[in-house]
Amino acid sequence: MPERIKHAPLDSRNLSHPRAEIHLIKDQCKGCGYCIEFCPKKVFEESDEINARGVRPPRIVNENKCILCHFCTAVCPDFAIYVVEKQSDQERKT
Amino acid sequence: MAEKKESKAELRSEEPRIGVYVCHCGLNIAGSVDCEEVAKFASTLPHVVLSQDNRYTCSDQGQEGIKRDIKEHKLNRVVVASCSPRLHEPTFRKACEDAGLNKYLFEMANIREHCSWVHLYDKKSATEKAEDLVKMAVAKVALLEAAEEVEVRIERKALIIGGGVAGIQAALDLADTGYKVFLVEKEPSIGGMMARIDKTFPTMDCSICILAPKMSDVGHHPNIELLTNSEVAEVKGYIGNFHVKVLKKPRYVTKDCSACGECAKVCPIVAPNEFDVGLASRHGIYSPFAQAVPATYLVDMSLCLNKEGVVVCDKCMKACERNAIVFEMKPETVNLEVGTIIVATGADVFDPSTLPNYGYGRYANVITSLEFERLINAGGPSGGHLLRLSDMQIPKTVAFVQCVGSRSDRNGRPYCSNVCCMNTIKDSLLIKEHWPDTEIYVFYVDIRAYGKGFEDLYKRARKARVKFIRGLPSEIKEDKRTHNLWLMGENTLQKELYKINVDMAILSVGLESRKDSEVVQRLLTLSRNQDGFFLEAHPKLRPVDAATGGVFFAGCAESPKDIKDSVTQASAAAGRAGILMAKGKVTVEAITPIVYPEKCKACGLCVKVCPYNAISLDTELKRVSIVEAACGGCGTCAAECPFGALTQSHFTDEQIIAQVDALTERDADKKIVAFCCNWCSYAGADFAGVSRMQYPPNVRIIRTMCSGRVAPKFVERAFARGAAAVMVTGCHLGDCHYINANYQTQKRVERMWKKMEQNGLRKERLQLLWASAAEGERFASKVREVKTIIDSVAPEEIEKAKKVFEKALEDN
Repeated sequence: MPERIKHAPLDSRNLSHPRAEIHLIKDQCKGCGYCIEFCPKKVFEESDEINARGVRPPRIVNENKCILCHFCTAVCPDFAIYVVEKQSDQERKT
Repeated sequence: MAEKKESKAELRSEEPRIGVYVCHCGLNIAGSVDCEEVAKFASTLPHVVLSQDNRYTCSDQGQEGIKRDIKEHKLNRVVVASCSPRLHEPTFRKACEDAGLNKYLFEMANIREHCSWVHLYDKKSATEKAEDLVKMAVAKVALLEAAEEVEVRIERKALIIGGGVAGIQAALDLADTGYKVFLVEKEPSIGGMMARIDKTFPTMDCSICILAPKMSDVGHHPNIELLTNSEVAEVKGYIGNFHVKVLKKPRYVTKDCSACGECAKVCPIVAPNEFDVGLASRHGIYSPFAQAVPATYLVDMSLCLNKEGVVVCDKCMKACERNAIVFEMKPETVNLEVGTIIVATGADVFDPSTLPNYGYGRYANVITSLEFERLINAGGPSGGHLLRLSDMQIPKTVAFVQCVGSRSDRNGRPYCSNVCCMNTIKDSLLIKEHWPDTEIYVFYVDIRAYGKGFEDLYKRARKARVKFIRGLPSEIKEDKRTHNLWLMGENTLQKELYKINVDMAILSVGLESRKDSEVVQRLLTLSRNQDGFFLEAHPKLRPVDAATGGVFFAGCAESPKDIKDSVTQASAAAGRAGILMAKGKVTVEAITPIVYPEKCKACGLCVKVCPYNAISLDTELKRVSIVEAACGGCGTCAAECPFGALTQSHFTDEQIIAQVDALTERDADKKIVAFCCNWCSYAGADFAGVSRMQYPPNVRIIRTMCSGRVAPKFVERAFARGAAAVMVTGCHLGDCHYINANYQTQKRVERMWKKMEQNGLRKERLQLLWASAAEGERFASKVREVKTIIDSVAPEEIEKAKKVFEKALEDN
């Protein structure tokens, strides 16, 4: 359907999406960069700091963009990332 | 092939006995042509044994007369000088056949569309021209040969492109008749525009309630194979035997889907839903709307996180109890063999954001009529509440603005979109039904309530105190604080300016041809009118047929129309396609090429130019052979052959040259020889006639099937005989009814221009014109232009051309 969309969805204000809480175990990271490369929402970027293993661990750009797909957990060879859902006060309505 | 030659020889030995009938067509011809005089003139022509004029040759009486004369006077050739062969050639051919005369021994002179109607006020010139046209027809008919038509089998399967209400109706009609139907729809669900509309006019039925049962019938019908999310990628073949390739895009969800919706609940991706014009949201995996057929969900791969087979997010897969989600699905190409095709591709709605004065897209409370339909629909994003998008309040005053994108050369499209007036009236009543106190203004140009029950609905709206104000607002301005709208314009009935404050404005947008109709046009070699809608074979008598055999139109693809008309046309198209398929066979015109093997040098030029790959070259035997069933009958091979080893039946070199010779017999230096292709430019010249567009009477039209048939030697012959100018005309490049044969025309004309320039001739004397069947004015103005050219051609130039092309006289 080719019409151009000019107005925002009426329910856009009520849409709530899952809030993620991303945990990075920085010192466990060996700086492979898989998480940065593979995150579909580009939540991570390389940081400036040097960790215990002497590499640059990732840093979170925007936690709100995370959609909890857990792919970072799956690709991390060092089990250095895990994500949990933030318990929001609001009921989820999707 | 051998048979044909025998019969030819047989007929050649027979002396032609030609009967000429000059039709008055009431006063249509007789009003500006002295038909009696023309008939008298015809009787002096060689081989003419009978010549008469009558009021209506096409009447039963007229036809009986021809049949009687064929028997009594032993006529073996017939010429009727009347209207366009595109109109009545089949009629007279049938009459000849009834009297035992082969129908290929008949010829028409078009003295109505190409003569009397375009030279209404110059009886002398028109009569002279009619005489010439008759002379040309007589010259050609004497050389015509009897021919047998090849029969082609019709595959008893139909392809319908587009699954809106028109496509659905056509599919059901054909499937119920017993034919196999393939319904191809680009979107994930069938239903089209009608599925998005809340109520229908004038009866105020719930649109989806009457459509949904039909949609589910299509889904369950044993004779219908539904291909959604699919597009036609290639169409080859011809009437009865189309080979179609359909590209089926993957849904990533198998048929096991029970449409429970658990997958969508967990999908993290949210996007505006196209079905609700973006007023509601959907997920990356979704079903377009509740009643969708097929109900199977699908994944929008442009949004999904799982690109290129890497499953990043598997939430939907985990949620699906039936394991129906498969990300490995690939696009597939489906090959179909069908006999008939119905084009029901529908229309787009006009985009009002191109009109800055109405502020659509900038002001939240300016919406289109399509967005209104979704808002007023109980199943829509607002649950049936008409809401102002700025503050989600129900508006107290509403304005409808009509003709947004219609009936304006400057701001949109010049034509009337047919449905918007009644749609607005219906919408205004819907608002009144839910919120009777709402004040409604309708700003209009004319209210067109022309159909059954339309006027009653209009009256109802007026009774319900909808205020109709004639005169569109010139501008809509928003109050920045309240987001209310000011509409300013002139009430043309009261001759006063208005400035009205409303809570919401609804732009009644018109319909326009689909953005991708050009693709469909190319695939099926169709024509479109200047508004972009597909052109029917005849506006009155074949309104659902395309000029391409075996192709039919239904719904808004042909012109904007309401649901009732779309359904009517769909049933008509199904009926027309059904006729072909019920017969199971069709005869194709005997206009395929004839090969003279003794002249053939096996150079292979004809093989190269054939658009249908119907010619094959046997290098060992040094001869070409033709697959008649694959041949489209353009004749471009015959024009290409430098040795005269190929010619086209019924349009042979000698027949066309005889026409050129006949018309250049007197006053050649005042004449324009025009070669017109049957499908576009000849039809365009017909259209100029029907529209009574006047142009100079100097032009004489020779019809060929395709401009690709026009061999350089015809043009040279015309100049050698002293013609002042020559026009070669055809379909626009890319619109050729023979795929691409007119590119050959272009090449040949360019070569001719070069030759003329090299020999010191003005190349303006040879004109190349592309004109579609709808471009009568283009044809007429070209003739006017060429007239000014021939007025400037000096006698020396004529002589020079005669000399340069002297050689052309030697042939034949």
